[in-house]
Amino acid sequence: MRRCVSAFGVIALAGLLLAAGSPTDLPNAPNSLKLAVLGDNGTGDRRQDDLAAQMVAAHKQFAYALVLMVGDNFYGSQKPADLEHKFARPYRPLLDAGVVFQAALGNHDDISTIDYAPINMRGQRYYTFVRQNVRFFVLDTNILDAAQLKWTEAALQQASEPWKIAYFHHPLYSNARRHGSNVDIRVRLEPLLVQYGVQVVFAGHDHVYERLKPQKGIHHFVTGSGGKLRKGDLEASDTTAAGFDDDNAFMMVEILGDDLHFRTVSRTGATVDSGQIRRMAPRIGS
Amino acid sequence: MATVKSVRSPVALPDVTEARGARFPRLWHFAAEYLLLLPLGAVIALVWANTLPESYFDTAFRLEFLVNDVAMVLFFGLIMKEVAEATAPGGALHPRRRALLPLVASLGIALVPALVFAAITPYFGEPRLVEGWPAVLVSDVAFGYFIALVIFGKHPVIPLFVLLSISANALGVAALAVAGAGGPLRWDVLLLLMAAALGTALLLRRNRVRRFWPYVLVAGGLSWCGLYFGGFEPALALVPIVPFLPHARRDPGFFVDAAPGARDALSRFEVWTRHPAQVALLLFGLVNAGVPLKALEPGVWSLPIALVVAKPLGLILGVALAAAFGLHLPQRIGWRELVVLGFVSTIGFTATLFFATAAVGPGPVLSALKMGALLSVGGAALALGAAALLRTGRFSVR
Repeated sequence: MRRCVSAFGVIALAGLLLAAGSPTDLPNAPNSLKLAVLGDNGTGDRRQDDLAAQMVAAHKQFAYALVLMVGDNFYGSQKPADLEHKFARPYRPLLDAGVVFQAALGNHDDISTIDYAPINMRGQRYYTFVRQNVRFFVLDTNILDAAQLKWTEAALQQASEPWKIAYFHHPLYSNARRHGSNVDIRVRLEPLLVQYGVQVVFAGHDHVYERLKPQKGIHHFVTGSGGKLRKGDLEASDTTAAGFDDDNAFMMVEILGDDLHFRTVSRTGATVDSGQIRRMAPRIGS
Repeated sequence: MATVKSVRSPVALPDVTEARGARFPRLWHFAAEYLLLLPLGAVIALVWANTLPESYFDTAFRLEFLVNDVAMVLFFGLIMKEVAEATAPGGALHPRRRALLPLVASLGIALVPALVFAAITPYFGEPRLVEGWPAVLVSDVAFGYFIALVIFGKHPVIPLFVLLSISANALGVAALAVAGAGGPLRWDVLLLLMAAALGTALLLRRNRVRRFWPYVLVAGGLSWCGLYFGGFEPALALVPIVPFLPHARRDPGFFVDAAPGARDALSRFEVWTRHPAQVALLLFGLVNAGVPLKALEPGVWSLPIALVVAKPLGLILGVALAAAFGLHLPQRIGWRELVVLGFVSTIGFTATLFFATAAVGPGPVLSALKMGALLSVGGAALALGAAALLRTGRFSVR
């Protein structure tokens, strides 16, 4: 246990040192697909506001057009005024700048929020969309029924884009103590993701940031500290590549040709992890 | 002709209540047959899922269709056999007007918990659990029957409980159709194949076919296909078919084993399926009760709390509704017995597990509902406690 905590500390520290040495680690190329990833954010409290401010600041330098929300977009009451307070208010500058949010459902989200226009679910629990050379698959892992699995397989089968990215709320792999990996979902979903060549999976639920070593060829990220935070909850294991559980964080991602670049930023604006994933020949490094 | 056990009016009771000396050995035999295998499977599943999750969920995933959609057909066929026999002379459903009060009262015991569940679940922070609402309507007939027997012994409350539970579970089946879990419902497919299944069963009955196999394989097979391809729960395939099987002229009583020499189709069906159905129950517990405990959220409590709060209340409201229609409770049943019976009805266990699994697909929502179903077994302790507090049943002051 103590050894794991120490190992995690080293990983986090290495990430921070690396970040300090390379502040501009995203290519920020003109024609690339730029996006942010955010999870477990809808608290409406100070932490969410602070991280939203960092996202707004980041957007000025790295003009991402898309935000992937991995669920728990709203905690607690979800009346129209709450949706405004927990979503539209903190992200207003991004919405005004034309940034499109595309949400997945978390366990705290009311099903009625699929009709809340600003998160663009268009009344669907699960859906797919394309941006440039990337096909995104947004799934509802709260209830992974047979109909959804059938739809997922058909959508994956039909996808011809070079990049395939799936995101949903419950992580297939996680080393957080509170929830950890959802094996029930994994045994049903992972074979499809592997078979049809999904390269990257984003999830949340555990209120930490974690990057895992590729599992069966897929790069998994847990980005569940967009508003909530479970400090010290990450217990690094041999599947952990990097992690951060000291503060809230969001990810910035840039896809340029066969390369996916990422950078994870904390509530204070520090880069806590970054790296690059190459399509077809998976390679990852910080 | 089936061997028929003696039946005492006003209601059919199994031999478990015959003589005090014989009661408990028979009760424990009953418990071993109907009650211990599922908990055994559930305990193994809980330990397995929380120690070796990869192998557990992989195994459960591979077995779930075979167990939930195929093997459980036998269990529900056996439960339906009890209902079909209860319509025979001496049975609790004979004459059928006897079932009117439980039928009306079951509206309260099913719908009030569903309303309470829908109302309180958002406060536990996991609003999606509401999608498992059909699981709140139902009660575990066999487990509740056992607890009711332990508390009341030979008492008119026993058939009242069984009828209430059967009626509430029938409402649960209707709720599954309304909830439409797992995708779009194909009513055309269901109606076509179900009509063929019922027509076949009727034809077999009219031609005095005494063997149960044609009913189960041909009519049951058509029914299963209708439910499965129609998007409904195929484990209920034998429920509409079993009433067509020729049965004994008198009801031997609830959960009384058919005699090995019995020749009527329904008794032969029971003799043949008894042990496979028990294996199905064991596997059902094994495949469905493996819940990762560390991943559970506070929402787990919404289901058992809704049951505990609303079942007794719903029963009293349901009986009041029945009374408003001019129906009367059997003698020796007052508000104290109703309160205790309400707590007995909170035991969802097998029924809640099954209906939750049928109502929502796999995932964390189902895990929370399953855990709630397991916790509902605590209703047995509440029922015993209420009986002791209210001094009724075995705790009454003579």
